[in-house]
Amino acid sequence: MCGLAHYIEDGGIPTVIISLVKKHTEVMKPPRALHVPFELGRPFGGANKPEFQRKVLLTALKLLERTDGPILENFNENVPISPDEIDAQEGWSCPVNLPNPVSTDNFTSGIMNEISLLQPWYDHSLKEMKGRKLDGLTSLNKDQIVKFLVDWTNDQNIKSRIEGESIIRALKLAADDLRHFYYQAAMGKPGIRSDLEMGDWFYGQTTAGLLFIEIRKIMMESDDEITRMAGRTNYVPNAMLKHIENK
Amino acid sequence: MVHLHEMPEGPRNLIVDQDLPKYPETKCKSGPKLEDRRIAIVTTAGLHRRKDKHFSPGKAEYRIIPSNTDMEDLIMSHISTNFDRTGFYRDVNVVLPHDRLVELVKRGEVGQEADFHYSFMGATPPRALEPAANELVGVLKDDNVTGVIFSPV
Repeated sequence: MCGLAHYIEDGGIPTVIISLVKKHTEVMKPPRALHVPFELGRPFGGANKPEFQRKVLLTALKLLERTDGPILENFNENVPISPDEIDAQEGWSCPVNLPNPVSTDNFTSGIMNEISLLQPWYDHSLKEMKGRKLDGLTSLNKDQIVKFLVDWTNDQNIKSRIEGESIIRALKLAADDLRHFYYQAAMGKPGIRSDLEMGDWFYGQTTAGLLFIEIRKIMMESDDEITRMAGRTNYVPNAMLKHIENK
Repeated sequence: MVHLHEMPEGPRNLIVDQDLPKYPETKCKSGPKLEDRRIAIVTTAGLHRRKDKHFSPGKAEYRIIPSNTDMEDLIMSHISTNFDRTGFYRDVNVVLPHDRLVELVKRGEVGQEADFHYSFMGATPPRALEPAANELVGVLKDDNVTGVIFSPV
């Protein structure tokens, strides 16, 4: 991000970046930056807060008029939380009572059972989001995705099932599609706040999460460096590694 | 929350203490007042239209997001798992503040919205992005862009 700003500005076009990791900005010194105190992944603060998002955007854009760089200003306001959001934050729980995650030797039936239980919440969420779908990175259906991922845990020599993608990238895209389905279903129930809560549910309480942990484990044991790196970074967020220790 | 200060020290250090290149100072270019500028958004969230090719790790590419795109149809193929996606799931403007930019233009606080916005996938080594960035400069100039805001994740 900072590097891009250097190149574009050097090419003659004024730039400003939103900075989420202040240390990175301090090291790389882009021409203009506005550091914001928000979560990684939320450069403009909170969802559905147009007035606040507009304020962040306008504050950053106004820096374009300055030429005394490198500029690093701070945006010191936190995202406002409404009373309704405070009420909704109390005690989010899974939208359905999923059975305890099954063992690793029966992933397919466990996950397909979870999918069928979550489907009504997914449909509700889809309606609430006016048809906006989070999944769809692949053209595989849920059965095909689950089969692909589980088959790979049983035989790492299988071929990619996504045209034009390597097996490592195909597994990641399929896994993301599966996770997006779970997340969109979970968002059908109001109140969830962040990836952390969602992650604790997904990685700690679902069979699909257990499958992700298993894929990570197998990849981390690979002789191939790229596969090991994919295992380390693609399946379980750093903040969710605690669930691996609990398994 | 995925606030850096709330992360355990180990995972936080993996993000914060990356080995990053240092750049010589880039002189800030001048331009018109904000109310006369034409603004493009560049995100590194790995966003693209559903019909576009997914991002691939290590490839310093970008995707074009025309300003008349249905932004609700954007999907994210960023490889990283270490940032919050629930904000984007609920409201694309958390990452790509297109609606906010349009509003600022309507209010007269910003001159114009560019015809095109752009998306890269973060987690790409910064220096590897130079060829794509240089190409993008020409594309932005063709669109008469006079200001770019970068939105990371």
